[in-house]
Amino acid sequence: MPANGGTTCRFMRPRALQPPTVQLGNSGIDPPAQVPQRDIIDAQMAFFGTGCIINEQVILQDQEGVLAWVSERLAVAMRQAEDLILRDYIVSAASEINAGGGNNGFNPTDLGMSDFSLVATTLDTNNAYKFMSGIEGMDRFGTGPVRSAYFMLSSTELQSDFDTLTEDGFLNQWNYPSNTSALPSEFGSAFNIRVLTSSEAPVARNAVQNTLGEFNDVYYNTVLGKQAITHINQDGYSMNLIYRDPYYSGMLAQNATLAVKFAQAQAITQDTAIRNLLCTRESNLGV
Amino acid sequence: MAEYSKMAHGYYTVSGGTLGVSAPSARIINLPFKPDYVELINYTQAITPALHGIPFAFWDASVPPITVSSVQYDTIVQVNATDSDVTPVILTTDSVRVGGGISVFSAGQLLQFGPTYKHNSVASADFSIALSGAGGPTTVTTATAHGLSSGDVIIFEGLFQTSTTGMPQLNGIPFTVTVLTSTTFTIPWDTSNATYYTAFNSNTSANNAGAWKKVLYPYIYFPNVAFISGITLGNTTTIDTTHAHNFVVGQEVAFRIPNQWGTVELNSLPNNLTPGAPAYGYVIAVTDYNTVVVSINSSAYTAFTVNQTVSSVSGLSYPQIVAVGDVNTGGVQISNGSVLYPPPYYSPIGTTRVNTINGPAIQGAFVNNTSQGFIVGNAASRVDTASWVGGSNGDIMEWRAYLHDITVV
Repeated sequence: MPANGGTTCRFMRPRALQPPTVQLGNSGIDPPAQVPQRDIIDAQMAFFGTGCIINEQVILQDQEGVLAWVSERLAVAMRQAEDLILRDYIVSAASEINAGGGNNGFNPTDLGMSDFSLVATTLDTNNAYKFMSGIEGMDRFGTGPVRSAYFMLSSTELQSDFDTLTEDGFLNQWNYPSNTSALPSEFGSAFNIRVLTSSEAPVARNAVQNTLGEFNDVYYNTVLGKQAITHINQDGYSMNLIYRDPYYSGMLAQNATLAVKFAQAQAITQDTAIRNLLCTRESNLGV
Repeated sequence: MAEYSKMAHGYYTVSGGTLGVSAPSARIINLPFKPDYVELINYTQAITPALHGIPFAFWDASVPPITVSSVQYDTIVQVNATDSDVTPVILTTDSVRVGGGISVFSAGQLLQFGPTYKHNSVASADFSIALSGAGGPTTVTTATAHGLSSGDVIIFEGLFQTSTTGMPQLNGIPFTVTVLTSTTFTIPWDTSNATYYTAFNSNTSANNAGAWKKVLYPYIYFPNVAFISGITLGNTTTIDTTHAHNFVVGQEVAFRIPNQWGTVELNSLPNNLTPGAPAYGYVIAVTDYNTVVVSINSSAYTAFTVNQTVSSVSGLSYPQIVAVGDVNTGGVQISNGSVLYPPPYYSPIGTTRVNTINGPAIQGAFVNNTSQGFIVGNAASRVDTASWVGGSNGDIMEWRAYLHDITVV
C-alpha cells in the first residue's frame, strides 16, 4: 500500500456480466444494457514489531558476533509473525468444511480421499484458479501422474495419515514423475490438491470428543486457489531492521537495541476460492 | 532504572455487579505491553467503605501463587469486613484464585482455550443441558460456578448421552453464552425437538461423555465466519448466528449451507445463468451481536432446520455466513463520549461495542484485533465469597500497571 494512502487498503473485484446468449434478431433495437458491478474488499493495515536490548559488554566480549545472530533471529521471528497472522486470519474468516471421509468416528473425521475430492470439486465449481499445472506421467516405477492442483496447507502431524492414504490413491511427493515443480514443503497430492505441510499449521488441541469420551485434535487444512487471499505490505514497511547504538541509551551508553518492525494487512479477495477443511487424526501423534 | 520499564495507569467506572450480591463482568484493559505487576484502587470503596467492598488489590507475576486446599491464589485483596468495634467496617486481607482476580493476557493467536470441563472426570466439572423451548435458547447448568461472563464464547465436545442419543450436534460450534446465574447460562440454539436432541444429563453413572471449554480470543480478526443458528425467510432474510458475527450495515456476505440444513438457495455458487457470478447479499440492518438482516428475498426458499440426527454427526458440516467485502466509504461515526476518530469495534454480546486498539478504518474492513494487557476477573474472594475484585456498578476504579526492568528473586 502506498505511503499517505490512509489506514485501509481497498480492493475492487469486478462481477461477472451475463453472457449475451440471446440473439439480437432483426428488429434493429439494441438489447438493454447491463449494469456493471463490483465487489469492494477493505483491509486495515496493522503494525507489528519486536526487539532486543543488548548490553554493550556482550557486544564487546561475546565471541559469537551477537548482533549478527540476533539480527537473524529477529528476521525469522518477523517472517514467522507474517505467516502466523495470515494463518489465523484465514482460520477466522474463511468458511469450513468438516471432513467426513474418514472412519475414526469423530466430527470431523480423519481425512479420506473423498474429502480431497469434495473440496477440489467445490473450488472447481466456484471457478477458483489452480496454482500448479499437472505433471505428465512417465515410464518410471512407482510414479504416477499429478493433476493440476490447488494447494492445501496442512500440519506435519497429519503426514502419517497421508501415508496411510497412499493405498487409496494419495501420491507421495517422491512418487511424482518429476520433482522439478515440487516445493520443499510438499508432501504429496490427492486428486486436484497438492499438500504442503508445516509444523505451524493451525491445530485446535483436544477440540472434539467421541462417544467413548476420547479427545482428538482438530486440524485446519486450508485449501485455496490462486485468487483467494492477499497479503499487503505498507510502503517501506515490509521489513525494517532497526539498530540503535548504545550511544542513544542513557548517560553511560550501555545498551544497544536491535529490532524489527513491519506492517501488513490481509484479506480474502475471493471467498469462493478458499475453504478450511477440518479433520481429526487417525494415527497416533508422534512426539 | 526505568529506562525500558513500562508504566501505565487509568481509571474506569464499573458497569454491572451488585455489592455483596454479584460480580460485574470481567474487565479487559488493553495496554501496549503485558504487565508483571498490577494494582487496583477502588476509589468508591476506599472513600465510602461498605461491607464486602474491595478498595485495594495487588497482583505480582514474580511471586508464585499460594495453594490453599488445592486451589492456587495469586491476587491479594483488602476487603471491607464487619467488625463490632469499628463502625461500619474494617479492612482485612483476602485473596482471589489464579485467573479469577487480576491476570494478564496476550491475544496474539487464535485457537487458545481455557480449561476443559469434562463431564464424569470430577464432580465439579459435571454439567447438564436441558432441551430448550421452541426457538431456543438452550440452558446449560454446571455443578459448580462456571466463571463465565455474558459474551464469552465456548465450544462443546462429545455430548453423547449414548452412542445414538445426546446433543453431539452442538460439538465444535462456537457459542456465545448469556449468563443467568453463577451455575447456569444459555446458548443460542434450538434443541426443542426431542426427536433429534436428547437432554444431556448430569447422571455420572451413565458414562455419558461431554466437555466444554472457553475460547479465549474469539475475535482477534473480524469480520469473521459465523455459524448460523436460524434463518427467517421473507422479503429480506434474517440470520441468527451462534456467536458474534461482527458485521456492519453495508457488509457484503455469502452463505455456505450444506444440504441437510435446508436453505441451500442462499449459497453463493454455482450460478447457472451468469457463470462465475456468486450470489451475495448485503447487510441492511444489524439487530444485535448475533442477528443481521440481509437484502435477499428468500420468500420461496427452503426452510432452515437445526434438526440433525445424532447418527449424521460424524462428518457433519455446519451452515455458515462469511464476509465478502463491504460497500462502505467511511469509518465509525463520532458519537457522544466517543473519541474523535473512533476505531473499528466488535460486539461480543447484545449491542455492546468494544473498541479495538486500532486507528480508524473503513467500516466493514477486515481488521486485526490482536491485543495484550490485563484482566480484572469476576471470581469471588477466597474467604469473603460475597466480595469481588471487580467492584460493583458505579464504582470508580483506578488501575496501575507496570512492567519492570529488573526482577530480583
